[in-house]
Amino acid sequence: MGLLAILKKMKQKEREVRILMLGLDNAGKTTILKKFNGEDVDTISPTLGFNIKTLEHRGFKLNFWDVGGQKSLRSYWRNYFESTDGLIWVVDSADRLRLQDCRQELASLLVEERLAGATLLVFANKQDLPGALTKDTIREALELDNIKTHHWCIQGCSAITGENLLLGIDWLLDDISSRIFTAD
Amino acid sequence: MEAPALPEWLQRRDEERRQQVERRQQEKREQAVAEEQSDFFQSAFQAERAAIEQLLAPPGGAPAALEEAALRLQQLQKFLSDSVRFLPPYDLRQAQEALQRLQAALGDGRERLRPKKKFAFTCRKKEASAPAEPSAPRAPAALPPPPAAESGISGLECETLVKGADEVQGRDVLLSHLRNCTVKLLGSPSTLHVRHVRDSRVLCGPVATSVLVDECAGCVFAFPCQQLRTHRTRDTKVYLQVTSRAILEDCSGVQFAPFSWSYEGLDRDFEISGLDRSKNNWSHVDDFNWLVRDVKSPNWSIIPEKDRITHWD
Repeated sequence: MGLLAILKKMKQKEREVRILMLGLDNAGKTTILKKFNGEDVDTISPTLGFNIKTLEHRGFKLNFWDVGGQKSLRSYWRNYFESTDGLIWVVDSADRLRLQDCRQELASLLVEERLAGATLLVFANKQDLPGALTKDTIREALELDNIKTHHWCIQGCSAITGENLLLGIDWLLDDISSRIFTAD
Repeated sequence: MEAPALPEWLQRRDEERRQQVERRQQEKREQAVAEEQSDFFQSAFQAERAAIEQLLAPPGGAPAALEEAALRLQQLQKFLSDSVRFLPPYDLRQAQEALQRLQAALGDGRERLRPKKKFAFTCRKKEASAPAEPSAPRAPAALPPPPAAESGISGLECETLVKGADEVQGRDVLLSHLRNCTVKLLGSPSTLHVRHVRDSRVLCGPVATSVLVDECAGCVFAFPCQQLRTHRTRDTKVYLQVTSRAILEDCSGVQFAPFSWSYEGLDRDFEISGLDRSKNNWSHVDDFNWLVRDVKSPNWSIIPEKDRITHWD
């Protein structure tokens, strides 16, 4: 391999970002991922295990890890923490019954050492539903303002219409790249 | 002859060099914050660890003490993650191990308390109404009252209810705490939640997205939907049309058959819901507690054809 090829490869590796998507079941993690990738979202079934998707966006290579949110899968979440650059926490804004569950699960993630360096993006999903709570209500319910350990941002969105998905991902990328790729 | 004096410029340079060194040392002293010394970390960490051990130590371990221990353990964990940057690897590993031991001790403590907590539903309510202790978890943030987009039926026994499209169409419908009831929803809701329903019959028009069933028993359900998520439910029959997939978690004795209920206006509601009527995966059920691929889960089965309900009214 020529020197140029090696350099190129290193450069590519540098622009790789690992993003972990978590949240309670039925939050819409897989739907967000598929919509962002321009795939059909009508046929999605509950995730039994996990999905990995690699996307090119703004010159970055994004490795998305979408892990199922069913209760029985949550104990496996920890297996995916290593070297995560960005954490996307997806919330079903219409599911007020489980908002407290949602807060607790998120809080237990944020004390995880292996996620200590990760940027947190909260997607208040399903804003297209008439019963959805606003992103400010979600922000209060999840007590996001108490988070001092991570850079965070909350974004209202709809995985069905695709509204604000790009906005959220772009913020996430900006924050990650300002931390990691300062050399450029 | 004079002793060869160092050229002036060389002297000056030497002087500058010394000043530079001096300045660097000064800077270094200023930057070293007391809190970022390994010693400081060690003593603070050990003190907190001992305190948490104390909380966990008493034989019984009162719930309040446990809660406080959990809270302080969480803070200690955070303290450690904040300090990772300047700790030597050995100290870091030691601290992590200590935290793990504490976590395990906390887990044991909670385990011991569990039998008492069996009736969590009533217990928790009492706890919440009791005067808040300093370490009690903060009260959940108050939520605004559900908007008109949500409708529901709750806390009924031995009744028959029929709701028309005007109360169902495009809404989040919640049915909870019903017993020996029959509920018919003649319309296409956006989402249907069924919680704590016993020995009842729930028939519903096409649900545009998900149906979520939680803690039900002895019921008969019939609905078309995009996804069905069934949790903690037993001995229930589901007459189902599902365009993507049905899943179970912590369930037993759940039986499936194809959706066969009908009402006037069903065709129209199918169109409103946007469901693909030709697609039905009612017999493909994923059980999250049964991940063996080639052996069928014992938690669900298909209702034999001769036992299926054909006349609903």
